[in-house]
Formats: sequence, structure tokens, C-alpha cells
Amino acid sequence: MAQQLAIIVLVDIGNALEANSLRDNVYLFDNMKLHGSDGQGTGDLVTAIHGAYWRDGSQATEQVLNWLPYSLGSLPPTVPRGYESERALQSDARALEELDALTAKPDATDPAADLNEIRKAVGTRVKTTRRTKGRLSGQKVIDLTGEIVTDTSAGTYSYPAPVITDIYGQAVDEKIMYPAEYGSPDLVTDGWYWSATVDSSRPGTYSYSMRIQLHRLVQRGSEALWEPVNLTCESALRVTSEPKVNGFTGSGMGLLPLDPYPSSAQGAEYFQPGPQQPGPQQPGSQQSGVQQSGLVEEER
Amino acid sequence: MAYKPQINIIAVVDVIGALSGGTLHNGNLCLVDNAGEESTGQGTAHLRTAVRPGQVVQWSALAVDLQTPVEIRSITFLGEDGVATPATRTSAEGDGDKLDLAHWAGVVPPSLPSGTPFKYRLELQMYEGRYSVLHVDSPALIGV
Repeated sequence: MAQQLAIIVLVDIGNALEANSLRDNVYLFDNMKLHGSDGQGTGDLVTAIHGAYWRDGSQATEQVLNWLPYSLGSLPPTVPRGYESERALQSDARALEELDALTAKPDATDPAADLNEIRKAVGTRVKTTRRTKGRLSGQKVIDLTGEIVTDTSAGTYSYPAPVITDIYGQAVDEKIMYPAEYGSPDLVTDGWYWSATVDSSRPGTYSYSMRIQLHRLVQRGSEALWEPVNLTCESALRVTSEPKVNGFTGSGMGLLPLDPYPSSAQGAEYFQPGPQQPGPQQPGSQQSGVQQSGLVEEER
Repeated sequence: MAYKPQINIIAVVDVIGALSGGTLHNGNLCLVDNAGEESTGQGTAHLRTAVRPGQVVQWSALAVDLQTPVEIRSITFLGEDGVATPATRTSAEGDGDKLDLAHWAGVVPPSLPSGTPFKYRLELQMYEGRYSVLHVDSPALIGV
């Protein structure tokens, strides 16, 4: 199948950090519900991987998995990449204007209180460490509306997006999938993403683990900084494999059924179809799906 | 043009466009083959694929957005009146989740008359449900 598989890893960061666990704080979704994935929207997703093989036993399809981590309680990943830095600069500019206005005010009764208000409005730049620099550099703590947060104890701030740092476990050890982290031009995922090819020739259910890095805002003296927290969650792949069948004949390849060349009568001249294999065909089904849907496309 | 033992026809589908508009026309379906210059209508839903007796013709579907599902549900050759007869009706019309197991390929019959277009209905399924199946009757194979 040509369709690429996507697994969304949605993390409730605030609660995960509080519980120090991803258990019940991660929600997994994939786009293979049609093929039988179970546990959509829960932490117990089992992703269905459909494999197929040719009559000689060789593998007929390949599957590619992509993981996309998202956050509950963060700025949407679709805002421009420089949004946080832009908001930080805007708050600085606004503070300077207010400072200007304050110094020009001839009858300031309580300048210390006014200055304190301005200091609050400026907010605090988050100090970055070697591990948290990059996109987090130069940022201030902001909330989901982009406003500067001055009181971080209320916990109303936006968390940095979760980052998958490793995918490992049974499915990797047994060489069912080959995950790797790739560079990506898609900045929504910070320029990186995890992807894997899957060996769909070995049916079974295989578990795997994801190591996910979150960031906790900590106060060290007068400094605030994002401290990395590594947590793990589990998921699984359920691999099935079925034989490919010819869409026209339901078994091996024959002549195209061009009227007046019924394929069943003449296919044997060229090919010796193998034994009937189970396939998608429903014998006796003559009803067109188009008629069922009512969306008949007339030739134009 | 050198004789090719196999001709490939790829249906490139804008699944979201097709489902939103309820049509495979309006650019939502582009059919392309590698039969050479004798084919016409490349990149449209009106592809006429030039074929020769003995060639294998293989169809496959590809979504423009690789994470959207599309499969060939059936290919049915149409009679002169444009209606599929029971003898030529094909049906891999099973569950939507099994359609990826179907391999749509066949051999061009030995006595194919040249110059005669054989129109076919290409029916595509995009996920499942009442509005998931659309078709076109416009493509054809033509003997050369």
C-alpha cells in the first residue's frame, strides 16, 4: 500500500510532569483505523500494519511509519517559528515605552510601584542550557494566547513541544521495524522527525517504546529555566500478511476482460492460474459501490 | 517505439479534493501511462492507453497526499453502449480494508482490433463509508 502511516503522539505535558509519568497522559492516534488499529485516542494504541505477499512468497508491499509528537497545553505547532521570540521582543519594546512615559510623568507619586508594574510586564527570559538551547533561546514564559506570564507558579504557561528522542523495544530488537530520526524541512516538528520502515512479512504483535523528552519550568534563584524530563510510553504494531490476488480473476493473471474477450475463457492460453486464494472479492456481489453511494460520475 | 512487455497506468488521486467535491473530475484524478506517444490524454481522466496484443497492462493508484488512503475498487470494461455487462464486470468489491490486496493487471487479448477504444470504468475507494467510492467511465485502452 502506498499510503504512509502516521502516528500522532499527543502529550498532556502539565499532567505528565506532575505525575512524572506518561501513563494516562499520552494519547496515541494513527491513520490505520480502516485496517484495524485498536485503541485510537488512548495510550494503548495497537497500530495495524497490512502486509502482502506474492504467490511465490516474496514481499509485495512496504510500509513506512512516521511519528508526530504534539502537545496538549502548548502553543499550536502551526504558529510561526519565531513567534515566541517575537512576543519577547514586543514585550521589551512595550516596557521601554512605559518606562519612557514614566520618566516623562512630572507628578509620579509612587515611581517604585510603577517600576514594579513595568518589571512584571517585561516578564522573565528563560535561561537555556546546552541541552535546551536552540528554539528555546531568548524566549520568555508565555501563555497560550501569547501573553507574557509573570507568575509562573500558576502553571498557566505554554510548554515546549514534546520531543521523541528514541524508539526502541521488541519491534526494533526483532528487526520488525527500523526507526531513525531524520532531518526535515517541516519546522512544525522543529526540523526533525522519527520514521521507520516495517518488515511486514512476519505477522505478529510487537511492542515498542518511545522515549519522550518534556521540559519542566524550574526556578533557580532569580532565574527560570527549562529542565529536560525524560519519560517513556509504550505502543505496539500488529503485523498481518495476506496474499495478493489479481483484481480481475481473483487468482492468477489472465487476459483482460475486454468484450468480447471474457478473461475466464482465454486466460489459460497464456497463464496457468494457481489455486484460488482468499481475496477481497465477494462472489456474487454485482452491486456497484457507486450506486450504493449515489455519487455516480458521468463521463464529461 | 520499442515493444514494451508491460504497460503501467497510474491513477494519481487528490483524495481530499475528490471527497470534498464528490468528483474525480476537476483535476482530482490524473491518469498517466508509460505506453509512449501513441497514448493520448496523459494527466487527465480521459487517458487513452495505446496497447498491443500480449502486453501486460497494470493499474495502480497513488494519492497525491501520501497519508490519505486510496485503492482501486474495481475496473470494469464497458460495452459499446457504455454499460458493463455481467460477463465483463469485475469485482474486487470487498471490504475497504482488503482492497490493497488486489493486483490489477491483465494481458491484452491476441486479436485485439486496432483503432477501437475499449472504455473502462475505474472505480476508486477512498477510506470507507457511503461517500467513499467514486468512478469515472472516461479512460480507455486502444489497440495499435
